[in-house]
Amino acid sequence: MRVLLIEDDSLIGDGIKVGLSKLGFTVDWFDDGADGKEALLQTPYDAVILDLGLPTIEGLDILKAWRNAGLDTPVLILTARGDVDERIKGLNSGADDYLGKPFALKEVQARLNALIRRRNGITKPLIHFKNITFAPDTKTVTLDGEKVTLAPREVALLELLLLNKNKVLSKEMIENKLYSWDDDVASNAVEVHVHHLRKKLGKDIVKTINKIGYTLED
Amino acid sequence: MRKFKVIPRLSAVLNRINAQTLKFSLCFRLMFFFALVSSIVWGIAGYISYKETRESIDEFFDTYQMALSRQLAAADWSAVSLRTQHATNKLIKNIENADDDDDAIGFAIFTQNGKMIFHDDENGKYFPLNNTAFGTFVNERLEHKGDKWRLIRLSSADGKYIITVGQELEYREDLAMDIVEEFLAPWLIGFFFLLFAIAGLTYFEFKPLKRLAHSINKRSADDLSPIDVQKSPIEVRPLIDAMNHMFQKIATLLQRERSFISDSAHELRTPLTALKIQLEIVQMADDDAQMRQQALLKLQKGIERAERLVEQLLALSRLEADNGHYDNVEILNWAEICTHLIDEYRLMVDNKTISLIAEDGAQPPFTTGNHILTALLIRNLLDNAVKYSPKNAHITLKIADGEFTVINSDTVVDEAILQRLTERFFRPAGQKETGSGLGLAITKRIAELYHCQLYFENSPEGFKVTIKA
Repeated sequence: MRVLLIEDDSLIGDGIKVGLSKLGFTVDWFDDGADGKEALLQTPYDAVILDLGLPTIEGLDILKAWRNAGLDTPVLILTARGDVDERIKGLNSGADDYLGKPFALKEVQARLNALIRRRNGITKPLIHFKNITFAPDTKTVTLDGEKVTLAPREVALLELLLLNKNKVLSKEMIENKLYSWDDDVASNAVEVHVHHLRKKLGKDIVKTINKIGYTLED
Repeated sequence: MRKFKVIPRLSAVLNRINAQTLKFSLCFRLMFFFALVSSIVWGIAGYISYKETRESIDEFFDTYQMALSRQLAAADWSAVSLRTQHATNKLIKNIENADDDDDAIGFAIFTQNGKMIFHDDENGKYFPLNNTAFGTFVNERLEHKGDKWRLIRLSSADGKYIITVGQELEYREDLAMDIVEEFLAPWLIGFFFLLFAIAGLTYFEFKPLKRLAHSINKRSADDLSPIDVQKSPIEVRPLIDAMNHMFQKIATLLQRERSFISDSAHELRTPLTALKIQLEIVQMADDDAQMRQQALLKLQKGIERAERLVEQLLALSRLEADNGHYDNVEILNWAEICTHLIDEYRLMVDNKTISLIAEDGAQPPFTTGNHILTALLIRNLLDNAVKYSPKNAHITLKIADGEFTVINSDTVVDEAILQRLTERFFRPAGQKETGSGLGLAITKRIAELYHCQLYFENSPEGFKVTIKA
């Protein structure tokens, strides 16, 4: 899951980025509203975390601009103000959910998961595929009821494939979703991750469609 | 000279009376002062009218006495001897009985050689034969009872007799007193009536004031809406206006306090969030030592930031509450304060140069004040200059006439945010340095306490902050 984070506070921004990365998200962090606004227009993010208390540009203005441009990426707004009015204003401006400061990282994760799940039309908190069960909230994977330990990027890849079941995902698209702009991506990175997934979950789990990409097929 | 001495003494006495009676109600005080003043006025008026009346009475009776003595002088006394006295006595007695109103007139007729040949059988017989000139009045004490009498002597028409007509002075005085008393009596009745009127009036006139007090008492603590002036008497309006003004000031202050508290609470959420998140990262780092180490460093940074924020909030709230009353005012040595601060910062910063220019004999923006506040003001400016200037920048503190300037070279601040720099909690985007956004708000507040203004400017020399009186 690639997430766009727009947060001007360095400690919070860094914390969310490090924390969510550890939890299997791919995070692009911008401390400037204008740059962050551009980023969503360029990259297919799964969700956005937007701090409303940005110094130079109103978070809500960014949000409205995105919605006006037809972008429907789920947006979680962060607000320091406790008042209801601002939350309502945020939701009315096109936000999908909000979090009031101070919040816990786990809460950010849970809300992001819920937003992404809803967007992908999955209402059940667990995703089943063949003998695999995936819990998006905790990013845990079980194979025949046994817990399997996966690296964060492997989890992200599996989740991506599960959410796009029966669709073929190109290598480029997978890279986009798995890596932030700061990451150096090796040319065979996706292949390596697919290889690891097959090793841990079974040979036939990921199907390679030649010259197009990868898919999970029922 | 004496007159001038009396007035302060009198006013001192009045002041004392005033102070003594302050503990009583206004109604009582009004009545007391009314009684005091009207008694004095009453006394003076009584005295003057007594004097006037006495003069009129004297004039009247003197004329009467003179007329009587002329008549007596015109009479033929040759046939009169003491023998006729008895008949006359009876006659006079009858008249006396008929008329109680004794005008205390008496007379005596003397021969040239001093023998009294006739008198009125009352006081006349005690009249002395003195040598005063004819036709002039003299006041004399009679030996008989020691009373004072007013006497006039005339020679009879034939020159053989001396006529003395006298009137007891006490009678005249009594008469004058009677007249004055009658004149003043209605005053006394009026006086008591007025006392009641004052009591009643004060009661009714103070009703609006009581109503006002009641309505203020009934107010809730945060109801600072103005009182309606129209419903109160004109005299009370200045008080109400003053109170309304005060209400407004309190409301503004309260509003400021509230927004300060809410801003502070709001601003504390951010560092708190940072702490919470970094703590979570420490917890989830598991065996990733580097991640944990990083998070712990950030946590420490976050705690330091929160600490500084709390300190600055406290400083600002103290400064906000302080409306120009500051302690420990002393003559300030700006150059010395700057030198100390520069020495301190030079130890911490090795990639920037800091220098001080103090013009000869230049007067800083303010010369006396609190040393700690002034140092805080300069420190904040220097701190910002050090933080927000690039490597190898040169920072100059300059004391010129009437102004103090901090310049950091190679630094440009976006014009759009220049005006917002002193806003509380304002921090421009993309700030790598940690800060509360309160430093310049504090600086501005201190400058204001010393009636100075803060100016920001991007100049060819660099970014300039100036404090000017």
